[in-house]
Amino acid sequence: MNDDTSRRRPYDIPLPTPPDALRRGPLREGTFRSALHDPRTAVVLGRWLGAALLTCFLTGLFSHLLQQPPSWLANRLPSRPVSGYQITQGLHVISGIAAIPLLGAKLWVVYPKLFEWPPARSVGHALERLGIAVLVAAMLMELFTGLLNTLQWYVWPFPFRQTHFWVGWLATGGLLLHIAAKAPLIARHWRRVRPGLAQRRAFLGAVTASVAVVTLTTAGQTVPWLRHLDLFAPRRPDLGPQGLPVNRTAAQAGTTTAPADWRLRVDGPQPYELTMDQLLAMPQYEAELPIACVEGWSATARWAGVRVADLLARAGAPASARLRVTSLEADGPYRVMDMPATYARDPLTLLALRVNGQVLDPDHGYPARIIAPNRPGVLQTKWVARMEIL
Amino acid sequence: MRTLRTLLALAGLGLTGFGLYGIATDHYIDLGHHPFDILRWAIGGLLIHDGLWVPLTCALGATVARSTPVRTGLILAAAVTAVALPAVLRAGVDHGNPTLLPLPYLRNWLLALAAITLLTAGWAALLHRRRRRR
Repeated sequence: MNDDTSRRRPYDIPLPTPPDALRRGPLREGTFRSALHDPRTAVVLGRWLGAALLTCFLTGLFSHLLQQPPSWLANRLPSRPVSGYQITQGLHVISGIAAIPLLGAKLWVVYPKLFEWPPARSVGHALERLGIAVLVAAMLMELFTGLLNTLQWYVWPFPFRQTHFWVGWLATGGLLLHIAAKAPLIARHWRRVRPGLAQRRAFLGAVTASVAVVTLTTAGQTVPWLRHLDLFAPRRPDLGPQGLPVNRTAAQAGTTTAPADWRLRVDGPQPYELTMDQLLAMPQYEAELPIACVEGWSATARWAGVRVADLLARAGAPASARLRVTSLEADGPYRVMDMPATYARDPLTLLALRVNGQVLDPDHGYPARIIAPNRPGVLQTKWVARMEIL
Repeated sequence: MRTLRTLLALAGLGLTGFGLYGIATDHYIDLGHHPFDILRWAIGGLLIHDGLWVPLTCALGATVARSTPVRTGLILAAAVTAVALPAVLRAGVDHGNPTLLPLPYLRNWLLALAAITLLTAGWAALLHRRRRRR
């Protein structure tokens, strides 16, 4: 890419060119001969990759806020639209997978820039290249850890969720810096020049086909009408007990058999306990709600049970009450779940006792589980033992 | 343009700084070794990608994959493999949760590669015949 000779700024410090004797191997001129290592191809791919990265960043941020809302936001989180989280988290994983061929193609196109001569024209140029290293390393890491997380395969020594979240900021920050640095070049190659390059058309066609294939063969884990094309996704929404996948089984949580004397305990201004028979004697409601996992799969089911709002009213809770739900499981990061008032008073939020017409399978949370609209799956607490008004 | 670029650069610096601040202050990230682990993995990823993978694709592109059908086929195969291989390698390891990785991933991957090979071969043959006719 030879037309990136940006003018040297007065406040930038020029660096000397190393002796030519060091210019060996891929550093020599003419090592890379393909006409596709050009700015126009990089701009076309960069637009799509940038859009995918920004989609991942924004949907990831949304997911993070739903899972760990800061206190000022907690009671303002909307419980609608019902399928909000299903769509945003589905998009997060779909655009992440689509970014895999896009990143591969983009990095191949710009690969000769890694060996540009001189390696650094100035301090500013050196910093820009360092920024690109951060951007590329962060993107490779995000796509790798994200893809493996959907399989629950953890091969790295650092915590996944926190690292994936914070490195996402580095990737997006790196992208903005990269766009700022390359803005004139991007602007110059934004529009197509006729006649186009036949080779480029073929290459971009192959990349587009790759994006289409990896999307169509994995998106069936969340998009119902693509289910039959699901070849490589780690889940299929109709496979599992009672036709639903499971994130954490009863055996994993140590809740295969509920205690014989199980009772739902509700703590509030007027605390009480209910047996299963008493729960079943309360007004039962049905809701068709998706269970949407952070790992990108989702499945809609018909849930039936008692409205959480009714349980809270019976305990004398005000409408603005927040809720803390505790599971029977002995440990696990989501054993205790806090529910903002917006969800707790939504008539669709149920303490579900049945799913798809059957008593809950232990893997789906028997004796009772929470199901609420527009919430991450890990917060749909299973094996509920206690509800506490805060 | 200039103002916009400056704003974009400042935003980029801000986001990067916030990410670094997050890594340094997150309770789940043990400052004793996790940041170094992350750095090691980041540099390792760069080295494997830029030092092994891209040179391999460049070598293939300059030798085997000189025609459009073969190039397209290899690009498709690489994309499918990147997405499918973890599931192929991991199939069967479900920690007692049969709803995780429930599909025959090895079979699906081989089928996809076979379909790509067939399409590539058919396309190449078609091009070859058309060129001969001229």
